[in-house]
Amino acid sequence: MPDLYHALTLFLLLNLGAGLWRVVQGPTAADRMLAAQLFGTTAVAILLVLAQAGGVAALRDVALVFALLAAVAAVAFVRRAWPQPEDEHDRP
Amino acid sequence: MNLLQTGFDGLLALGLIWLAWRALACPDLFRGIVLFIAFGLLMALAWVRLEAPDVALAEAAIGAGLTGALLLAALARLNRTAAAQTLPREAWRSGPALLLVLAGAGLGLAVLSLIPEPAGLQAQVAAELGRSGVSNPVTAVLLNFRGYDTLLELLVLLLALLAAWSLDADPPRREAPAGAVLDMLLRLLLPVLVLAAAYLLWAGAHAPGGAFQAGAVLGAAGVLALLAGWRLQPHLTGTPLRLAVTIGPGGFLLVAWAFAAGRPAAAGISAGTRRRSDPADRDPGHPVHRRHPGSAVPGLAARRR
Repeated sequence: MPDLYHALTLFLLLNLGAGLWRVVQGPTAADRMLAAQLFGTTAVAILLVLAQAGGVAALRDVALVFALLAAVAAVAFVRRAWPQPEDEHDRP
Repeated sequence: MNLLQTGFDGLLALGLIWLAWRALACPDLFRGIVLFIAFGLLMALAWVRLEAPDVALAEAAIGAGLTGALLLAALARLNRTAAAQTLPREAWRSGPALLLVLAGAGLGLAVLSLIPEPAGLQAQVAAELGRSGVSNPVTAVLLNFRGYDTLLELLVLLLALLAAWSLDADPPRREAPAGAVLDMLLRLLLPVLVLAAAYLLWAGAHAPGGAFQAGAVLGAAGVLALLAGWRLQPHLTGTPLRLAVTIGPGGFLLVAWAFAAGRPAAAGISAGTRRRSDPADRDPGHPVHRRHPGSAVPGLAARRR
């Protein structure tokens, strides 16, 4: 069973790599930001699996903080970086 | 340590180095910020793998959550004032780069010259843990054994706030009203954030967590409210706000002064009699413990005896 957990974490980490490609490629700012949000979700999943694999309950707290604070970056993006339509990030 | 774990750790380390390099070298500031947020996430995972969940919690709250939002706000402000969207390549200066390389080399040398098995204070902390009132050694050191040190950082925060208020001479930014979705999100999320902060503070007594992480989550709640355009009522921003920000450090100094005046020299000795009469000391979960400067004194005195 531990092997399954470790394989899962590795798989999820590889998913992060796929998200990285989107961060680098873009093309718009929203693509990059959404990829970062996907990172947060995947990191929560990795933490939950690690908590189960190692029996470390504290990791669930880390996952909780991740999940709660992912919204802060998203709101900052929507309120500060997105509204200007002529912003050059929006151009492909 | 099997092959899968080694693969995970190796990928994590490579990803961290790559992200750090890209975030620094990227000419587009926005992309750099997104890469920095991703770096914070992976860094928290790395701290988890290094079996330092306390640091992972702090990194999750500060590195991945708060700093990203603050950097985005700073970028928007930069765009508003000076249109410095992309850094020119020649922004790399040889002087700072040399300094950084030297500093990195010095740090590397310092790490290499560390004693392989440092004695540290772990044994002393473990021996006195029962008297600190908490079972998490990190919290015991930060809030009990070194309570003065940690709690006086409130004054540092106060100074930082004063500096921010002094420098921020701009008229307050006219915030677009938050839409219905954002408003509803905040109404749901802010209470949860406050609850999570209280939980982290409480959990710090016996598990990873504590005041720093709780404060960071609470700070994130404040940042979220500011981003959405929520402001204090005008009649609260003057004297009431100033009173509120000084009441913490002031209260702490008063309590510390009262204790120091009451027991000038024999802090460690008289603590024994006081402790038996103090209900907070019998109950490890008692909230008084978190801000009890008195419990820092016996711990320190005992350690130095």
